[in-house]
Amino acid sequence: MKAFIALPVVWVFLTLAVFFMAQRLHKRLGWAVTTPILVTILVLILFLSLFDIDFETYDNGGKFLSFFLGPSVVALGVLFYEKLDEIKSNLMPFCISVFVGGVSSILSLIFILLAFKAPEILIRSLAPKSVTTPIAIEVAKSVGGVPSITAGVVIAVGIFGNAFGIHILKLLGITSKTAIGTALGTASHGIGTARALEESKLAGVYSGLALCVNGLVTAITTPFIIEWWMG
Amino acid sequence: MLKSLSVIFLFLVVGEFVTYVFKIPIAGNIIGMVLIFLALKFKVIPLDMVKPASDKLLKYLVLFFVPYGVGLMVHFETIKEHWLSIGLAVLGSTILTLYLTAFLQEKLEKK
Repeated sequence: MKAFIALPVVWVFLTLAVFFMAQRLHKRLGWAVTTPILVTILVLILFLSLFDIDFETYDNGGKFLSFFLGPSVVALGVLFYEKLDEIKSNLMPFCISVFVGGVSSILSLIFILLAFKAPEILIRSLAPKSVTTPIAIEVAKSVGGVPSITAGVVIAVGIFGNAFGIHILKLLGITSKTAIGTALGTASHGIGTARALEESKLAGVYSGLALCVNGLVTAITTPFIIEWWMG
Repeated sequence: MLKSLSVIFLFLVVGEFVTYVFKIPIAGNIIGMVLIFLALKFKVIPLDMVKPASDKLLKYLVLFFVPYGVGLMVHFETIKEHWLSIGLAVLGSTILTLYLTAFLQEKLEKK
């Protein structure tokens, strides 16, 4: 049995099968907490813990899937180009809002964690928490964080933005649909953007664009902010 | 498909090379992402040269980071020990980001 579960195909198959079923479930229910990625991760962790299988064994197969994160991040550059091409006029105010929002996300997170005297490894892992998971993972790796902690928190941030973002913004007096979209995409990436799309088509477009711009902003600024602040 | 996949991997390799040679603290695939964005923007390469493979990769993007999420199980102790500071920092920072971005966008777009 030990030799069998060490085979990569076992874990590639299980991951594909669980993900497929999680997508099915999400299509039927459509709740923020049934986001396929969250369900898939929870089911797999539960399965591994239940059968007392360690993560290294799972990653024998898992690494074949995560390998494709490399070229997929490059593919995001293509998506960003297509998205930015959608809006030709008046991009400047939008870019300023996203830039300020994205950088303040990194700075405020570092500030609060330092105030709580949290260990440095957490600061390095969570600094890119607002951007789309693949970029956040790469940023965490390059600043010496733990990519798995990053992935978990980034997904949680997305679900929070999806479930409460709009209520919080309306409570604070924001009425513009485009402003709501921009904020959701900047603070809570793709999972937040899914909610913006439900609000209105326009909010969805701005949210998708904000996700792209903040992806670039965070990828480029985080290493320098961390280096400057933490040394 | 094969051509576009080769081009994407070319940008990935160039990105890794740039990071390696210049010792920049930014991951190679992020550099690759920025370079392919610039190459498209300045019409160095046409969109259909990369679109088939990039669309396929993006379609399954979520699947590729499942293993990182599962890796969270190794760090349960760290999370358990610091859950309050993690929770408050993430909550505070996310709400601030949401509000600041929306506030600026609302103010600036009216002008």
